[in-house]
This record gives sequence, structure tokens and C-alpha cells, in this order.
Amino acid sequence: MSSIPGSCTPSEHAASRRQFLGAAAASGITAMVSGSSALAGEVAKRGKRVILLWLAGGASQFETFDPKPGAVTGGPFRSIQTSTSGVRVSELMPRMAARLKDTCLIRSLNTKNADHGGGAELMMRGRRDEASVRYPDMGSVLARELGDSESKVPDYVSFYLQSEGQGFSGTGAGFLGARFGPMQLHKGTTPENLSRLDTISASDFADRMALRESWSRAFEKGRVSAALGSHQQAFARVGGLMESQKLFDLSNESAKTREAYGPTQFGEQALIARRLVEAGVPFVRVGRAWWDSHGQNFETHQEMVPELDHVMATLLDDLGQRGMLKDTLVITLSEFGRTPNINASLGRDHFASAWSCSLSGCGVVGGSVYGKTDDRGDKVAEGEIGAARLFATIYKALGINPQKNYHLGSRPVPLTDPGTEPVKEVLA
Amino acid sequence: MNVSAIKLEKNISRPDILFGVARVPGTSKAFVGGSDFKIHEIDIDAAKPESRTLQSAHETYITTLALAGDSIISGGYDGKLIWTKASSGERIREAQAHGRAVRKVAISPDRATAVSVADDMAVRFWNVADGRKIREITGEHQPLTPQGFRSMLYACAFSADGKFLATADKTGHVVVWEASTGKKAATLAVPVMYTWDPNARRHSIGGPRSVAFSPDGSLLAIGGTGKIGNIDHLEADGRVEIFRWAKGDKGEKVHDFITEGKKGLVEHLEFHPGGDILLAAGGAGEGFLSFIDLKQKKIVHQEKSPMNIHAVATADSMKSIVAVGHQRVVKFVVG
Repeated sequence: MSSIPGSCTPSEHAASRRQFLGAAAASGITAMVSGSSALAGEVAKRGKRVILLWLAGGASQFETFDPKPGAVTGGPFRSIQTSTSGVRVSELMPRMAARLKDTCLIRSLNTKNADHGGGAELMMRGRRDEASVRYPDMGSVLARELGDSESKVPDYVSFYLQSEGQGFSGTGAGFLGARFGPMQLHKGTTPENLSRLDTISASDFADRMALRESWSRAFEKGRVSAALGSHQQAFARVGGLMESQKLFDLSNESAKTREAYGPTQFGEQALIARRLVEAGVPFVRVGRAWWDSHGQNFETHQEMVPELDHVMATLLDDLGQRGMLKDTLVITLSEFGRTPNINASLGRDHFASAWSCSLSGCGVVGGSVYGKTDDRGDKVAEGEIGAARLFATIYKALGINPQKNYHLGSRPVPLTDPGTEPVKEVLA
Repeated sequence: MNVSAIKLEKNISRPDILFGVARVPGTSKAFVGGSDFKIHEIDIDAAKPESRTLQSAHETYITTLALAGDSIISGGYDGKLIWTKASSGERIREAQAHGRAVRKVAISPDRATAVSVADDMAVRFWNVADGRKIREITGEHQPLTPQGFRSMLYACAFSADGKFLATADKTGHVVVWEASTGKKAATLAVPVMYTWDPNARRHSIGGPRSVAFSPDGSLLAIGGTGKIGNIDHLEADGRVEIFRWAKGDKGEKVHDFITEGKKGLVEHLEFHPGGDILLAAGGAGEGFLSFIDLKQKKIVHQEKSPMNIHAVATADSMKSIVAVGHQRVVKFVVG
């Protein structure tokens, strides 16, 4: 797999205080984007949050949300009845089957891009970039829309610890600028370079911060500059980020809770995601790679889907028990699905013409299914939607107007392509 | 046996993916089963082979077929074993034998006992005549891999004298059992056949898929694939490891064979009755048959198959080889 030209590389987004300071200051200087801050503030008050379970590499809809048992394309796994009458999912997902009441399955995605890099960009941004416009991803938009400028926690955290696909996983703040870009975790579940150096005591550190602020205030006297204000704000945010490190430390969770999420890396990240959104982080992406099962599709899914089922069900239970699910949208999404055809290696290849995702919790009709594929899963039979309508639906579920405009200079740029309507049937 | 003088005699196209085959001794008939859930009877040597579909059907893919006298015993992803009368096609009985997919059924040499292995990690012994469960072995093959994911129990085979049974799971844990008692006789390991990718893709691929005892029972051959770099694909060559299994606690590995240039899983292993030739068949996108000469300690011939092979049934001291797999039934004749 090679990187997509022009896409972000992991090193470009590695979390570090120095980069964060530079980027935050720069966004203040250029002030390229202007949105309706009043509306954003309203939305932020509502406390909406998103956890995106990103199934990188492309999970199979046949072995998850849209089984076709008995069809020549169906594969070996049976379907099971869910808690919603008439709705069945793969037998590999018994826990989610019992908890479909908060989830809407969307079985009619036709996104037309079955390339990993292009598909990931499309499904993270809701549309393709233009030659002169690089669009922000969902996390960056929601960081801006749902984030609180005074918040001491990050606005957008993205876990993607597997190396495959990391360089073209679709993240990027685009024209919103690095201020709204993700804090990327690529090497472990704890952010790098945020800790106070061991050689500096807590009191020394506090003294240094106070001294810096004192000099900075003195420098500001008699000067009027947006950059100076942004500089101060950036330092304040760094202080907040350093404080938020404890959110990534699972030793603060009970053994019972940790056990419930399970011992896998994916489970641990989902639990951290819950801790982050509970603390006010508006958007967390938990990347689980790599589902690209060109060979041995059924063995791969027999291994990975039960983990997804367990983690997703536990996360929804946990959010529900904490009273957070009504304000937290959990999205399960890939860059594409997998082919109906089973190849000679018992694999399924890339397929973007008829595939599935799920939305759970905030703003959606639980226990429902939107759209339908044909008997073999070759094409969408009812309710076809692309990435734009999915994004419009997600934004609407969170109380955000999908047609809200940002401005690139004088050019208005709506959050989703002009005229895109959310799917009303999905929305509560 | 001149294995280089192998030729493809029949190449029969099918709409389904076939995972099991059993031949009726002394005839050209074979029973096959796979992705359409049904058992089909085919006269391989007929000028225009047509299949007859038997009454029995599983709820999902058939993974294995074995013939014991007039009984076909089929196993499937539905965890069931179904007994079907070969002569009439009539369904005799079914048992919800396992909680997860049955991967293999082996018949004892005296045709009295069938053994099934499945992804519930249980080994179960069945009376062929009445379907009664005789014994089960649980707890040895672990339900989870060391990384905490579901394991799978892929392969089993009896020794020629029926005294021993070998079983092999995904992680490369192989056990030889005393068939009459269920007591463990040896534990072997083939870790190379199981690839866990902790960094790039964080899941696994591979595992031993076939086991076979030598005719004298002293050797156990284990088939699978080699260590894989990109686990999106079965990109490694097939691999066979041979153990003098009774030596010491962990046996003694005496040979490693790699099917160079032939990628994928070795899904079938079978010793020639003379004991000097071992057939290894399998594949990935394409299929292969590799003949290993144990005296020369090398692969002496490799034959390309028209399709990825999932199961094989031989006759006439391996002179007739019927293989089934991806949308084909083929017959090779040797020498």
C-alpha cells in the first residue's frame, strides 16, 4: 500500500506541544475561516459528542450488518434475530443483536470509491476535495462545531495504532487549519510528548509558566494583535492538554469496567474514548485496522467481528448506563464494504456499491434499518445514499445544520455539498 | 509410483465452492458438499458428469464429508453432523454436535467411529452405526488465541491402525491422542504456520489445516502455510512439517518442506500406502498438488490444479486423485 499523493502522513500530525503551538498561532493569524460562532456556541452547550469506530481496511457488510444467508454471495455465517422485529444481523454479532434498540443500521451506502485512500478521505470528509479546496474531516468539523474554545481537553482525538493504512486514513483539518486537527495517537494509547519532563518539578513548571505569562503580558502592553491573543490561548490549551493526560490512564477505571471492555487494544481504546467524551472531548475516532480480507475473509471476520460486537455493545451499554447515550452518537463506519463475490482465496475484495454502517445513540431512531440491498447484496435496492447524505444525517442528528456555511475568503462553503438533505427516516 | 506422470483427466465446472469430498470405493462415484449447503453425488468418470442432489442439507456451508460404509457423515458451519445413506440419499439422523463450525470429520480405519473437531475447540467421538456420542475431549485446545481472539480447531486424522488420533488448532498446537481412551500421547507445535500480526493489521491468518500419520504410524505430517508478511492475502508458500511424534515430550521434527512457488494452505495430506510418498494439496488463488519423496527428502513433483483445492479423496493407492475446491471437481491420474 502506498500513500496517496497529497494526503497527510502520520508525522505531519504527530501530537507535540511545539507543533500545536505553531499551528494554533497560525490559525489565529490567518483567520481564513469564519462561521456562525453564535450557532456553534449553542450547539456546544447541548453537549453533543461523537465516537467513531473506524473499521479501517473495509469490514464486510455480509458478515456484520447485512447478512445474506443462503445467497450464493452469503458466505458461511447464519443470521440471527435482533431485538428489533424482522431485523437480522450476522450470527457473529450476538451482543449487538440483543441491543439494537439504540442503533440504526444503514444498509444502502453507494459511495462509488473502492480505493483505500480515496475511500477513507471520502468517508471521513463526506465529499471529495476540489483542486483548490481541501475539506476538513468529520472530526475537525465537529471539533469546531461542538468544541468549546475555553475547554481544557482536546477537541479531536484519533487513535490509529496499526501501521497499515495509517498514512491514508482520511483525517485532516483541511481549510479549517491545524487548530481543529486531531491529536493523533499512533504508537500507544497515551499521547506522546505531553508529559512534564521528569527533570522539572511541578513547582518549577508552575513558576516557569507564570514567568512566561508575566513576560507575555508585559509584551502585549500597548500592542494590538490577533496573533498575540492566539499565542496566549494556545499556551492555555497546552496546559489543558497536559492536564488531560489522566484521561488516557485506564488505571483510573475500575477493574470491573476494564474487564467489561475486554483485554484487546480496541476495547481499551473504546474505554478511553468513553472517558474522553465524558470529560468533554467532542469527537474521538477509534481506528481498528485492518479488515482488508482479500484472502480468508471468513476466518478474518470470525476473528475480528466478535471483538467489534463485544466492544461496540459494551460501549453502548456503558454510555447508556451513564446517561450519556442520548447526547453521544456512536458511528461504526469503514472506507467501503466488501464484494458479494467470494474469490478463489475465500476472500472478499473492495466494494463501495452497496454496503452498510451504523449510527447509535444521539439523534437517531434506534432499533431501525434504513435502506435495503438486493437479495445477493450486489446493489442497493431501496434508499440509496452516498457519503454526502450520510454526513448531512450525522450533522443533523447532532443538531448541526448541514447547510451551514463556512467562508473561505468570500466564498461560502456549506458543511455538506449544496442541496444535500439528511435522511429523515434515520433521525429521531 | 511415477508422480511426474500425473495428468488431469477430468475438469468439472461447478457453481459452488466445495469443501468436502468422499468417494465410493470401487466406483467412479463421489459425494461432494460445500457452499450450497447440500450433498451432491457425481459420477466423475461419466462422459458428461451430472450431479444428483441428496435430501440432506445443512443450514449453511458444508465443511467436511466422510464415508463410513453406507453412511455419509457431513459436518458444517452450523455445528451439525448429518448422517445420510449413501445408497439412497436418505437422511438418517442429525446431531447438533458442536456449538460452532465443524471443521473436519475423520473415520476410524474399522469404520466404527467418527471423530469431529470444531471451533468450539472440542474433539468428539461418535458411534457411526447409531450416532451415539462416545467420548469428548475438551480443555486442551484453547478457545482463545494467546492474543485473546477466537481460535479454531481445523484438522484431525486417525493413524492407520486406529490407535491414535491427531488434532491441530489454529495457533499451531497439535496433539496426538490415544483413540481408545482419549488420553494425551504427545504434544507438538508448528508455530510458523500461524501468523499473528501485532502491528500492521492486528489479526491473524493461517494455522495448520491438515494432519496425516505415516502408514507405520511413526510419523505425523502437518500441513499449513508459512509465515505471512501481508496477512491480507495467503501470500506464503504451502508448508509441511513432519514429526517423529512419539519421541520425547514434544516429538522430534524430522522434515520441513516448502511448496516453493505454490502459495497458500496445505489442506490435505496423505501418505502413499508404501510410506515413501506424501501428497500435499491445497492452494490460495490457484491450487497445487505437491509430491514429497521422504527417501529423497524433497518435493519431487508439483502439479498445478485448475482451482484452489479444499479437499481430496484418492483411490487405487493414490493413482486416482479427486480434488474439490473453488467451483470445480477435478480428477488426476498418476503414473
